[in-house]
Amino acid sequence: MSRFAFMVSLYRDYFANYMKTKLSYRADFLVEVLSDLMFNGLNLVFIFIVFMHTPSLGNWSEAEVVFVYGYFMIASGLFSTFFSAWNFSERYIVKGEMDRVLTRPAHSLSQVMLENMDPPSIVGAIVGLVIMITSWSTLGLPFHWYDPLVLIVMVLGSCFIYMGIYTAMSAISFYSDAPTGIGPLIYNIQNYGRYPVEIYNKTIKFLLTWLLPFAFVGVYPASFFLGRLDEWWMPWLTPVVGIVVLSLGLGFWNYGVKRYRGAGS
Amino acid sequence: MLAIDVHDLRKQFKVQKNREGLKGALKDLFKREHTEVAAVKDISFQIPQGEICGYIGENGAGKSTTIKMLTGILVPTSGKLVVNGFVPYKDREKFVQGIGVVFGQRSQLWWDIGVIESFQLLRKVYRVGEADFRARLDELVETLQLQDLLNRPVRKLSLGQRMRCELVAALLHNPSILFLDEPTIGLDIVVKTEIREFLKRLNKEQGTTILLTTHDLQDIEALCSRVIMLDDGRIIYDGGLEELKSRWGKGREVQFQFTDPVSLAAVSAYTGDMAVRWSLENDVTAKVWIPREMNVSDVLSRVVGQKEISDIKIFETNTDEIVREIYQSGSAEAPRDLSALSDDNASEKEPAKAGAGER
Repeated sequence: MSRFAFMVSLYRDYFANYMKTKLSYRADFLVEVLSDLMFNGLNLVFIFIVFMHTPSLGNWSEAEVVFVYGYFMIASGLFSTFFSAWNFSERYIVKGEMDRVLTRPAHSLSQVMLENMDPPSIVGAIVGLVIMITSWSTLGLPFHWYDPLVLIVMVLGSCFIYMGIYTAMSAISFYSDAPTGIGPLIYNIQNYGRYPVEIYNKTIKFLLTWLLPFAFVGVYPASFFLGRLDEWWMPWLTPVVGIVVLSLGLGFWNYGVKRYRGAGS
Repeated sequence: MLAIDVHDLRKQFKVQKNREGLKGALKDLFKREHTEVAAVKDISFQIPQGEICGYIGENGAGKSTTIKMLTGILVPTSGKLVVNGFVPYKDREKFVQGIGVVFGQRSQLWWDIGVIESFQLLRKVYRVGEADFRARLDELVETLQLQDLLNRPVRKLSLGQRMRCELVAALLHNPSILFLDEPTIGLDIVVKTEIREFLKRLNKEQGTTILLTTHDLQDIEALCSRVIMLDDGRIIYDGGLEELKSRWGKGREVQFQFTDPVSLAAVSAYTGDMAVRWSLENDVTAKVWIPREMNVSDVLSRVVGQKEISDIKIFETNTDEIVREIYQSGSAEAPRDLSALSDDNASEKEPAKAGAGER
């Protein structure tokens, strides 16, 4: 617990520094938020366009799909706020900044996360919440007192899944010195997760549920609130899968750090 | 107690072999060949607490690899390694709390924020109490004269200013061992001297153990009582600097400047059958190399009075030359014919050969 408190206090300090740096480049900050929003806005527009041509997608109405998308935005926005080390391989492995990280008394992954935090992403999460609430009322869904609590548990589970997968992906650079093209591939697969998996064929559904469980960052947890469940326990797997994936990712990372070779100085 | 205890330490890297040409590249695609390259080959040494030890070697000799193993960055392939009572790569987070690291070519500080804010952040990371931090910072800032720099962003500092800040950053948590990887690289002579003085004082007052790698042998002469010399992953010399000098630096050189032109034959005739060697710098300047066991005065008495002399200079073989000679022979065990030393004196003073990137 003291370790957790330590991390929280570190996050606060790194955040303060982030703000100090960013405030000197205010325009940069705004552009980042705007481009983030535009990116998500376009995806939303895409959903609307699809539904202009068809009343439903594999049994899912427009409002439901938008609801799922809102949930996806919350989870992915929150995740990106804390973790956005997309250039990990280049910056830390090729340039050897991992050396510095490893000479400091805090877990290496948490340091990398702190150094690459991206607070503007939180705006996306807020917009996602707004979208979710709006479609909640459009759909006339019942509201229970425990729904917000369940949402928190689900979103945490979803973030763990992202973190596990992207941690493992970053850790690949410890094992292979050639930059791999796996990043964009995973990112594309991730984007399938925000639509109902029923619309895909069986293979993709299986892949998104059990192999790269991105369906747990979207349709499964969201269907708890939508009340459309073939199996009632499916949404509840979200936190479980989250913990499993995160543990695997961390294990892969910790083992990889031992194989770090450093860059020629 | 030993600060650093190393036994048969070895580090091997797997290096991918790239075959030549397009055909080779295609072959590589399907079947990769790897070779094991040993950067550090079973070295052993012990450093007691409070010692300043210089770790020298050519580029690619394995200095940085050793330092990275000692600081917990790299995991050794084999061998025993205890630093400050810890096995560095095992208890990394606890271990690094007790060491300070400065990499001359890499910054510890945050680029965009003020120096003092970087220090504050490091204080948090290392969990140093506010009072301790203040006291320590004041002391360091005063000795290194950083008062005016504290509020400037790191990117606006000169290299010398930055390096002094790096030292403070590495010492804020009061480490008992300080690792320096080329701390004076690229600095001017004033800053170099300042940093050397500071390190000496740190060692004397706080008893901090210091291990530094450098290409600048002036650093070694100014600081180190002990030198470990590395060549191709092996230790070729481990011992005192004085011993190194007396074992190798067996000659002295005297340079005479005459008022009138002289010839080699003429000056050689002055010393007759003495075991010295003459060389001519230009028409009026001649140099004579004298082995250590011979008295300089004997030679001088022979030459002085023969001809009018406008100036005399005496040179002691310096560490640069000794080290270069050792690298060339590849071993510090048996000093060879030392007359070779004086031959290269006039040539370049650069001790390190340019080589492939350091491992």
